[in-house]
Amino acid sequence: MNYAIEAIDLTKYFGSFKAVDGINISVQEGEIFGLLGPNGAGKTTTIRMILGLLKPSAGSIKVFGIDVSRNRKAVLKITGYMPQRFSLYEDLTTEENLKLFASLYGLSGRKVDERVSELLEEFQLKEFRYRLAGKLSGGTKQRLALAVALVHEPRLLIVDEPTAGVDPPIRRYFWEYFRKLRKDGVTMLVTTHYMDEAENCDRLALMNRGRIVASGSPSSIKKLAYGGDIVELHTERKALVYLKSFDGVKKILEEESSNGSLKVKILVDDASDRLVPLVKTLEDNGIKVYRARQVFVSLEDAFIKLTVGG
Amino acid sequence: MGVLAALIIKDIRQLVRDPKTMFMVLLMPILVMAMFVAGYGGSGGEVPIAIVDLDGGKVSWQLIDSLINFGDFEVKYYPATPEEGEMLVRHGDVYATLIIPKGFSKDVLLGRRTTVDLVLDSSYAHISELVWEALNAAVQGFQEKVSESYGTFSIKVNRRTVYGPQVTRVENFVPVVMGILLHLVPMSLIAVSISRERERRTFEQLVVTPINSWDIVISKLLAYAFITISDMILTLWISVEFFNVKVKGSFFDLLFVSGLMLLCSLSIGLLISVMSKNQLQAYQMAIFFFIPSMLFTGFFTPVELLSKEVRIVGKLLPLYYFLRTFRNIQLRGWTLLESLHEVSVLFFETLLFLLLSIKLLKLRVE
Repeated sequence: MNYAIEAIDLTKYFGSFKAVDGINISVQEGEIFGLLGPNGAGKTTTIRMILGLLKPSAGSIKVFGIDVSRNRKAVLKITGYMPQRFSLYEDLTTEENLKLFASLYGLSGRKVDERVSELLEEFQLKEFRYRLAGKLSGGTKQRLALAVALVHEPRLLIVDEPTAGVDPPIRRYFWEYFRKLRKDGVTMLVTTHYMDEAENCDRLALMNRGRIVASGSPSSIKKLAYGGDIVELHTERKALVYLKSFDGVKKILEEESSNGSLKVKILVDDASDRLVPLVKTLEDNGIKVYRARQVFVSLEDAFIKLTVGG
Repeated sequence: MGVLAALIIKDIRQLVRDPKTMFMVLLMPILVMAMFVAGYGGSGGEVPIAIVDLDGGKVSWQLIDSLINFGDFEVKYYPATPEEGEMLVRHGDVYATLIIPKGFSKDVLLGRRTTVDLVLDSSYAHISELVWEALNAAVQGFQEKVSESYGTFSIKVNRRTVYGPQVTRVENFVPVVMGILLHLVPMSLIAVSISRERERRTFEQLVVTPINSWDIVISKLLAYAFITISDMILTLWISVEFFNVKVKGSFFDLLFVSGLMLLCSLSIGLLISVMSKNQLQAYQMAIFFFIPSMLFTGFFTPVELLSKEVRIVGKLLPLYYFLRTFRNIQLRGWTLLESLHEVSVLFFETLLFLLLSIKLLKLRVE
């Protein structure tokens, strides 16, 4: 299995403050991996260690098998980085910024011009070509930053809070672009504290106070937070008995009955396994089921549950 | 009014919370005063001169005695011949040579008019003028005192110069301008530039590319060196073409020592950028470091007129060696080789600052 990023017991102290506490992360090649958590959780510190900007206090970090602390340059050649705050040269034009970073990544001569034209086209920056980067609007700045991060066609793209303070249409644009990149085989590590965006990731790790609180796919994390999936049924009151004893039903969360009908929210171990058989069982027993569906649980709720114990 | 007050308070608060800038803003005037008093307030140094006594008689001894007692001079050498005396001035070992002619004592005792020759260095015009005036005064004073015993006589001081013709004020000012251009300007420019990258976080994007930290440092040095040297050449060209400045020595020698000074200043600027958190601090610090150079290295006032302690400080600073070399080349027509001592010291200081700054900056860029 080729891991794009493999962090083993990664730790970082700032003085006596433990910013990152022995975390283990494996990002598979070609997936979008989300690193979630509130501000101060240690996400940015982790990223800086992956990029070799900080030396870990303990543990190791490998990118495509390359040990970052031994061969940082090799890692940087195949990694693109889009930082949280706009960090390009405001007194250079869009084109000049792209050309500069193309050179710094080792592209030469005609290749620079070619690649820059490609990127201007790709990210709809052509009309801003000669404009100073400082004079661009927020969304355009972000597009430029992403273009720069991809100038050398990296295998791994690390994006730190790409959509912080950005309008919804641009947010959507970014995530569409990330999906396109994934199709092209690029691995992505994205940090965000917008839980709703995290739904877009293949797998996640939730961080809080330097530790990984949960990891896995969004649905598996939600399962972890609640101990299962939540299913909502609108059926007849008679169903309650069956529900209580049904295999896989862990708990009745909410019930509301009136006039013989029953609205109930139950916790099952796995919705995809249990929902259909459950409905079938009820119907086989002559109980009408008006509605049965899995309740969407937001990652935010899951996260709060996991961190605060809500 | 409330609005103004609120804003004023805000700005004062911000300033107070930046201790480095506060230090420089508040303490700087006090420190500068202290430095000024230390350097200029006390008894000045003594100007080294040489005396060629071709007479050796009683009166010439008395003259020499009174000159020594005058206090402003240090008679460093007693060369045997006028030629030797002149050589000493040419070499810069002394600022002036007084030549007492043979028969001086006899002439005085006989009440005749006598002359003494004073060989001055035109290329150090300021101090030459001072020596001229002081020596004149000393001689006149001697004349008055001794006329009581010997009767009336008069001594005329004959003025001779080396490296003449008279150096104009403008020509004298050129090294000063170059000092600003090659010391203050590059030092502050590079310090501010690096601090700006740090402040605006553009460093972050640079540092994740596979370039070396060497590349960043060297490219900054070269960029600012290029700009400043171009400026220097332009300034010099304009001075020569339009302001009648004459350069006696080789232009390439000037360029070489200027380039060396530039590199030195840039290195100090790098060091300043390591110590500054933001652009404001960087700029303040550059000015702060420039002030002792300005006061104590012969920038405005000859080093010899400063007190001994401060002279030691001045001689530690690179600007001192640059100014001497530049003046030697421009005003005296010397070659680099003739200024070897100064050039070597400048070279070593440059190397020291360069290595130190690169080492410290590399660590910081991490």
